[in-house]
Amino acid sequence: MDKAYVELAHLTKHFGDVAAVADVCLDVPEGRITTLLGPSGCGKTTLLRLIAGFFPPDAGEIRIKGVRVDHLPPQRRSTAIVFQDYALFPHLTVFENVAYGLRRRRVAAPEVTRRVREMLAFLGLEDHGGASPLHLSGGQQQRVALARALAVEPDVLLLDEPLSNLDAKLRTRVRTELKEIQQSLGKTTIFVTHDQEEALSISDRVAVMDAGRIRQVGSPVEVYAHPLDRFVADFVGIANFLPATVRAVTSEGVVLESPLGTLMTPPRSEFTEGERLTILLRPEALRLSFESGTGTLPARIRSTSFLGGTRRHHVQVGQLTLMVDESFSGTAEDAGRQIWLTIDVARLHLLPSEPA
Amino acid sequence: MQSESLTQRSVVAHSEWRVRAWFREPVTLTVGLAVGGLLTVFVLLPILQVITYPSIQDYFHLSENSRWVRATSNTFRMVLLSTCTSTVVGFLYAMAISRPDFPGRGFFRLMAVLPLFSPPFTIGFSYLLMFGRFGVITHGLFGLEASILGWWSLWVVQTLSNFPYAALAIERALATTPPTLEAAARDLGGGWLAVFRTITLPLARPAVAGAALLVATYVLADFANPLIIGGDFPLLATEAWYRIDGWGDLRGATLLAATLLPPATLLFIGERYWVSRRTYAVIGGRGSSLDRPPLPGLLQWSLLAFCGLVAGLILSLYFGVVAGAFTRTWGVDWTPTLNQWYVALTKADHIRNSLVFAATAGLFATVLATVAAYLVDQRAFPAGRVLDALCVLPAAVPGVFFGIGYLLVFNRPGVPLAGTALVLILAFTFHNLPFSYQIARAGLAQIHPNMADAAADLGAFRFRILWDVHLRLIFPACVAAWTTAFVNGVTNLSIAVFLVAGGNQVATFSILGLIGDNRLEAASAVTTALLAATLLVVAAAWRFSRGARVIPGVLSG
Ligand SMILES: Nc1ncnc2c1ncn2[C@@H]1O[C@H](COP(=O)(O)OP(=O)(O)O)[C@@H](O)[C@H]1O
Ligand SMILES: [Mg+2]
Repeated sequence: MDKAYVELAHLTKHFGDVAAVADVCLDVPEGRITTLLGPSGCGKTTLLRLIAGFFPPDAGEIRIKGVRVDHLPPQRRSTAIVFQDYALFPHLTVFENVAYGLRRRRVAAPEVTRRVREMLAFLGLEDHGGASPLHLSGGQQQRVALARALAVEPDVLLLDEPLSNLDAKLRTRVRTELKEIQQSLGKTTIFVTHDQEEALSISDRVAVMDAGRIRQVGSPVEVYAHPLDRFVADFVGIANFLPATVRAVTSEGVVLESPLGTLMTPPRSEFTEGERLTILLRPEALRLSFESGTGTLPARIRSTSFLGGTRRHHVQVGQLTLMVDESFSGTAEDAGRQIWLTIDVARLHLLPSEPA
Repeated sequence: MQSESLTQRSVVAHSEWRVRAWFREPVTLTVGLAVGGLLTVFVLLPILQVITYPSIQDYFHLSENSRWVRATSNTFRMVLLSTCTSTVVGFLYAMAISRPDFPGRGFFRLMAVLPLFSPPFTIGFSYLLMFGRFGVITHGLFGLEASILGWWSLWVVQTLSNFPYAALAIERALATTPPTLEAAARDLGGGWLAVFRTITLPLARPAVAGAALLVATYVLADFANPLIIGGDFPLLATEAWYRIDGWGDLRGATLLAATLLPPATLLFIGERYWVSRRTYAVIGGRGSSLDRPPLPGLLQWSLLAFCGLVAGLILSLYFGVVAGAFTRTWGVDWTPTLNQWYVALTKADHIRNSLVFAATAGLFATVLATVAAYLVDQRAFPAGRVLDALCVLPAAVPGVFFGIGYLLVFNRPGVPLAGTALVLILAFTFHNLPFSYQIARAGLAQIHPNMADAAADLGAFRFRILWDVHLRLIFPACVAAWTTAFVNGVTNLSIAVFLVAGGNQVATFSILGLIGDNRLEAASAVTTALLAATLLVVAAAWRFSRGARVIPGVLSG
């Protein structure tokens, strides 16, 4: 694990009665993309704005490269932000937008010109320097905003849902571009999004937020495969939940009693007999087949949505409805059809049962 | 939708943060107190002075004063009549000019806008030329020699002068009603009339009510047209002037002016806080650009005839003014001549004064309005609400009232300003402040708070942000604010009559004098010159402001 480049310690920010950010602790490693992921209103933007310095925290500390900055105004912090709506200056040309931060830093004019040209070329905007940002497409505006932020060579790049104003097709393309740009510059980046797919695909680390708090920090694989709680499991990826009770903890494994019958998972030590917990079944931990076999459960397909490469079936098992993904093979099953379900116990994940 | 509401909230929270920061800002405090002080002296003081000039007894005995009773009832009658007709005419006119496909739309629109740039009495004056004792139509056409002065002429003139305000306000409401709403109603089976009755009209109702209140405010406060056309039909505003001009009776004048204040304030509050809150937020997605279906043929032709009549009347009135400027003796000797322009030349000083005073007042008003708007909008000045109220207050005060207030406070012995042009300039400045202030507020409101944050993030400090972001972005609004104040200043008569003295004569006042001396042709020449100069300046300002065009008097609430 790299050393922390940006450290957030017990950061708290209230708006009236709302705790927009509550006791957030986070270490952001150097040169990576760290993503703040969470539903709308969970405090991502507020956290980002605290780091940028647009308002002071109610409590807590912010350090960048080991130096406390939480008392500094935004002008004095080595951060640069790309706003969700880009906030390009409409009365300045693209060139002047990108040059703005350099001019404020009293960089000599020839140097400004050189660096802006370089930045525009780097982002493929060399032909648009003289244009008004109002006359650019959404994708181009986004790149101007990025160029403006990168031009000042900040220690930390802050991106607030930079892709949310682009249309779906463009979004995936720009996402890849963004990742490549970040990697080629090795820029420490904090990226905010509410889109879990975006977060998983672009990030080196993901911090999942809910109601002002960070619920889990980890690599994309970690938060997907080993969520710490039901919220994270639900927010990141598709999840089926089953209530369960621990019947026995043996050296062979944990025996669980669930609505799908008795299940045996690989050995885990942290559970005790009689404990209630929640089983997380990702769609890919379930398999469908047309014949019964050992351990198969009778099920019925209720509906199917076609997702391109895969199909997602809503399958009725007893009283439960589960989501099961199946790679598309060219044939279509009918709804209502009898089918058999297999649970891959190696891929099943146990969560502490939250009080309902 | 959601991001919008979040943005609004973030503005609020930002201001909370700024309130805290504010106490560390001596500049904001000093500027805020200075603006507050100016407003107290130049807005509050004159108003209070007028109200408190008469004794309480005087107020109690008002109902025994037959002239007062007559003026009051006349005033209300005129307000009621003119408001109704102006609004109806304005509505019909708006129905026409709100449709992009209406034949001659540009011309009709221009005819509605023109009166707003001319001195308020231009319509009254040209009416005199057309229908007066030697009027082209009354005398020339019909050989009549009767006097047309009186209440119903005034009614016609007020309707013609004020319907443009209604037309332009209602036009905006009609034009912004999404065509999809009407299309949906038609789709559900409504005929044109049904759609109009159930969709178009109800949606426009708040705008119509707002327009009516606005017109009522103007008719109530109008001074110039009653003076020229009213004849022996005393109104509150004109009576107040006669009291001072003829009798030097300040107490009588203040009583009459003070009577204007409560209704004017009520109308103003109604327009600003009641009707404007009721305009419908249009619920709609994107891409609702849909052509409106054409009007039914008969209706289209009737509207065309109607608008043609109204626009023709206005055009002929203006034509009359210009023609008068080149005529030897109006109604008697039609020989073309340039003689009138020699007279106009002798009044060139007055025209120059008008332009200079109005331009200066416009500058003052714009600067003050911008500073006040910035304090209220961006810096969360603690007394922001008070500042805001003081800035819009003058809009509730009729010009005559304001003029008398300045007369009482500043034009008396011992006050260093007494008798100088500065008194007049300051009166213009503060009377027009609400318009400039609202334009500046609207301009600032369009600057997303992220703009300032982005500049701060890139290293710009306070004054740099103020300069780079706020001032640069509201510059067009400032030009618009200046233009409005300028036009209002040049065309003002109601304040000027009380404050002109010796060397600071203004053109509107000398035109009034020429009309009073029955030198209508010379009055025409001076009016034409003033009008031309004003329009030139406005055109230049419009070029300068890059599209932020504001028409005087027609502001959103
Ligand atoms: N300026 C503000 N004033 C008041 N409440 C705010 C402000 N900014 C955010 N909030 C509230 O704080 C919470 C977090 O908001 P935000 O940080 O914008 O969330 P996100 O970016 O994750 O959608 C929300 O409940 C929001 O309503
Ligand atoms: Mg956000």
